[in-house]
Amino acid sequence: MRFSPAGDPGTPDARSATRYLVWLAGRHPLLFGGAIALGVTWMLAQALMPAAVGRAIDAGLTHRDPDALLRWGLVLLGLGVVQATTGILRHRCAVHNWLGAAYRTVQVTVDATNRLGAALPRRVAAGEVVSIGTADIEHIGSAVDITARGTGAVVAIAAVSAILLTASVPLGLVVVLGVPLLMALVALLIRPLHRQQAAYRDSTGELTARAADIVSGLRVLRGVGGEPMLGARYREQSQALRADGLRVARVESLIQAAQILLPGVFVVLVTWLGARFALRGEISAGQLVSFYGYTAFLVSPLRNLTEAADKLTRGHVAARRVVRLLRLAPEFTEPARPVPVPEGPGELVDVRSGLVLRPGRLTALAATAPEDAAEIADRLGRYVDGDVTLHGVPLREVALATVRERILVADNDAQLFSGALRTELDPRDRGDHHAVEAALVAASATDIVEALPGGLDSPVAERGREFSGGQRQRLRLARALVADPETLILVEPTSAVDAHTEARIADRLAAARRGRTTLVCTTSPLVLGRAEHVVFVEDGKVVAEGRHDELLAAEPRYRATVSREEDR
Amino acid sequence: MSNALPVADAQQVRRYARELARRHPRGLAAALGLHALAAAAGLVAPRLLGDLVEGISRGVGAVTVDRVALAIAGFVVAQSVLVRFAHLASARLGERVLAELREEFVDRVLALPLSTVERAGTGDLLTRTSRDVAALSRTVRFAAPETLIAAVTVLLILGALLLTGPLLVVPCLIAVPMLVAGTRWYLRRAPAGYLRENAAYSDITDGISETVEGARTTEALRQQARRRARTDADIRRSYAAEYYTLSLRTVFFPVAEIGYLLPVVGTLLLGGWFYLEGWASLGQVTAATLYAQLLVDPVDRLLSWLDEFQVGGASLARLLGVAAEPADAAAPPDRRPVSDDGRLAAHDVRYAYRAGHDVLHGVTLVPRPGEKLAMVGPSGAGKSTLGRLLAGVHAPRAGAVTVDGRPLSGLPLAELRTHVALVSQEHHVFIGTLTDNVAMVRPDAGPAEVRAALAAVDALDWAEALPDGLDTRVGAGGHPLSPAQAQQLALARLVLADPHTLVLDEATSLIDPRAARALERSLAAVLQGRTVIAIAHRLFSAHDADRVAVVEDGRITELGSHDELVAAGGSYAALWRSWHG
Repeated sequence: MRFSPAGDPGTPDARSATRYLVWLAGRHPLLFGGAIALGVTWMLAQALMPAAVGRAIDAGLTHRDPDALLRWGLVLLGLGVVQATTGILRHRCAVHNWLGAAYRTVQVTVDATNRLGAALPRRVAAGEVVSIGTADIEHIGSAVDITARGTGAVVAIAAVSAILLTASVPLGLVVVLGVPLLMALVALLIRPLHRQQAAYRDSTGELTARAADIVSGLRVLRGVGGEPMLGARYREQSQALRADGLRVARVESLIQAAQILLPGVFVVLVTWLGARFALRGEISAGQLVSFYGYTAFLVSPLRNLTEAADKLTRGHVAARRVVRLLRLAPEFTEPARPVPVPEGPGELVDVRSGLVLRPGRLTALAATAPEDAAEIADRLGRYVDGDVTLHGVPLREVALATVRERILVADNDAQLFSGALRTELDPRDRGDHHAVEAALVAASATDIVEALPGGLDSPVAERGREFSGGQRQRLRLARALVADPETLILVEPTSAVDAHTEARIADRLAAARRGRTTLVCTTSPLVLGRAEHVVFVEDGKVVAEGRHDELLAAEPRYRATVSREEDR
Repeated sequence: MSNALPVADAQQVRRYARELARRHPRGLAAALGLHALAAAAGLVAPRLLGDLVEGISRGVGAVTVDRVALAIAGFVVAQSVLVRFAHLASARLGERVLAELREEFVDRVLALPLSTVERAGTGDLLTRTSRDVAALSRTVRFAAPETLIAAVTVLLILGALLLTGPLLVVPCLIAVPMLVAGTRWYLRRAPAGYLRENAAYSDITDGISETVEGARTTEALRQQARRRARTDADIRRSYAAEYYTLSLRTVFFPVAEIGYLLPVVGTLLLGGWFYLEGWASLGQVTAATLYAQLLVDPVDRLLSWLDEFQVGGASLARLLGVAAEPADAAAPPDRRPVSDDGRLAAHDVRYAYRAGHDVLHGVTLVPRPGEKLAMVGPSGAGKSTLGRLLAGVHAPRAGAVTVDGRPLSGLPLAELRTHVALVSQEHHVFIGTLTDNVAMVRPDAGPAEVRAALAAVDALDWAEALPDGLDTRVGAGGHPLSPAQAQQLALARLVLADPHTLVLDEATSLIDPRAARALERSLAAVLQGRTVIAIAHRLFSAHDADRVAVVEDGRITELGSHDELVAAGGSYAALWRSWHG
């Protein structure tokens, strides 16, 4: 079975965090089983190495037998080769287990996010989902990986215990009981360290944030000044972090000392006991050396076990977050029997405001309160529930996919995704070069593309951050025009562009949407003056309709809303 | 890429590292000495164990065994005490060096010419500020002391082996060529591989953030399949990068493991042969074998921290590179005093962001003291650039911007800002208290002056209503401020800085139109009695100005009062008519 990193993730088991982790581990049974088997072999090879050294000393040296010395020397070499080989193979399995779990979690997270769509911000904090990507996938990967590694450690510990107990029951008992006790003692000490370290990490994060804040505010700083004060504040916080670092170091230094002292004293105890047993002839000199080796060896698998407990806990917490996301349901349930909507453009009516969009016409909507316009747009696009009809059919009874296909709401919160600009401007993959060019002209955005080194093939960064607010707005408008939906609802599409550009866009928009239904929510006279039909909304209701100049003449409140200089 | 910020070369990095070491001779000596003592104490145990094994085979008494065991215990205690102080000493040194490094870096960032920041973009600088400082922190806090300890330990073990039996060092040497060759091979490839791996991994993380933030857009434009495809592509790229480093490890790890093993087996066999020939005692052979085993851990740590050192070195080079950037061409400082209400003037100025692509073609503009001058014109015509030149943010390529006849670019920053300030459409609230956010422009200002400045822009009421009043922490992670409040904060800074000329770059755009009304009052308070050059994109602000300058294609094409320009019937008049309906 080949490992395919981005294959079909399958249906996740979202009944509980544990079931989700088990589901992940079970996706690649060969890799998971391989990691366990190889891990056991690897640990055992390591565990047997002290025995080989002990036998070499006993059989080879004490009994002065060169052949035995060579034989056990070669056994040691063989064990080392086995250890190196199984070690790297085990590592390869582990990496694949880790990556498989992380990648699959990314896939199901993206799928769940897409399924929730516009409802996501209302169902779950965006930060919570983003942290799945930044932190949780690592914990989940580690949890799946450590399960395999921990199993190997358990087997190794059992094997070494058996060997020790066969050699000498009392000495074996001291080691078998003493080492876990020691580990527990050290673990107790480590807990306060973790707290200090977490505090240090937080302070580091804050200091980094402050430095990043200075960088982001550099342009503002250059305009008005303030560098010395910000520099001083940074230095203060940096020195505080230095003090925090020393506090961590103080705890750390104690633990490091304990990590030498406790096992050291224990090794001395075992050696001393072993030497006394050896004096009495109960064990051999070589066995004494291997006891020393075993005691040192046991630390590593036991550390794996404590690590496993920690990583499984973190993995479980992370998996819980994923499972919570997977179980969220979208806001609107699809109608049980979706009603088909007649083909072709039809009247779109918002009952609450009394807005009627005549098919094939460009309507402009001016609202005294901008949030009224945004709310009407959300109702028309069925982002919130409302009494809206298309072709006389209530949108509630129409399949959501149909609504999205026929009505597009383009607002200023819409995101520009990263990728080649050409692809981003063509969301429905029309592949029509002329449509893209025409939309760029209509949105007065050709200069943006011309300024890019690679033109339309240039990459767009996350959130389109290399573009100014006005540039992003024009690109979003172009994208909506390329999508060419039957009904397009534009919310404040020119709020961030200068008057010259706004006038150009207003001149070209009607032509670009000829024959299609368009609603532009705006208070700009440059746009309103060029619209076929203008509706005026006050307190969420349409109170007047007509052409811009008619409304200007007839409606003083309309006049006040659109030409603010008269309002002073 | 000529646009990127520079990176220091290897020689500069080495020189800086040496200078750092010289700056802290005592701290360095203390850390090194203590670690060496601790490591030495740790090496006595195997030697004594060897003695013990030999004693047992010769049949010594219980008293000797007890004495040796006690001695081992004594050295264990000594080692643990030494380790404690060694760790403290190196942490003290590390934290100090780290603090110096990051503070120097931020000072350099604060002195960076704006033209550089604009050219390189803040992305690169942000990466250096966060990722490179973090990488360097790992190197200084962990890699440096660990490597130091490991190196000292390896040397001491080799020394102990020499003392045990000089010839018994030989098996350890056979591993050296193998380890050196393997490590060199690995280190030549690994850093680039891991960088690619991390970059691909952050692409996945960024992709998720983008998907989450754009969930509504995805639904509106029905981009679900594309988001999935993008995710799968990111995953495939990440896997390719991971697979490459995994392949490197698949070669290097077994080579290293065998490299560690050979000395152990070699010492055992060679030592055994020596013993059988009577050239070495059982104790010597046992101790030598244990020493060879003891070498594994420090050598492994030494090798595994090496690539961290490479990463840290590369980060240091990027941090030092920021200093290598030359400051904006500054004329020699002119000490002649300038009157408080100096007259600002631009004479025949030209400016290019990229050589050979002038965006201003010889602009002359002399604002009259106290007037409100509006600059209008299409995006990209050069309005903002001219504004920055007038504010002394950029120095012109040709021509001059002067205040009372003295070039702005020659003025010290602190003095420049008493003459002219620039307010852009970006309103950044810095992390810190509200008071800091206002007082930053004049650190000597007292609380009363800060309150007065806030009151002047109508911001004192809401400021006092904040949870901790003026001491409330604002900015990223602090108490959130609305865009209008942030803008008022920016205006309060201006009141406090009190320059005679203000350049407003679309300062009131991009805000909620209803908040704009409150803001205009605040703005009016700030503008009172100052020369104002306003880059406007809403025409109503132009209407109120004393004069209007129309900027088109890097030139001023029309200049006059609103009425004059409307009467003249040029491009301003056309625009005004269409605006006015």
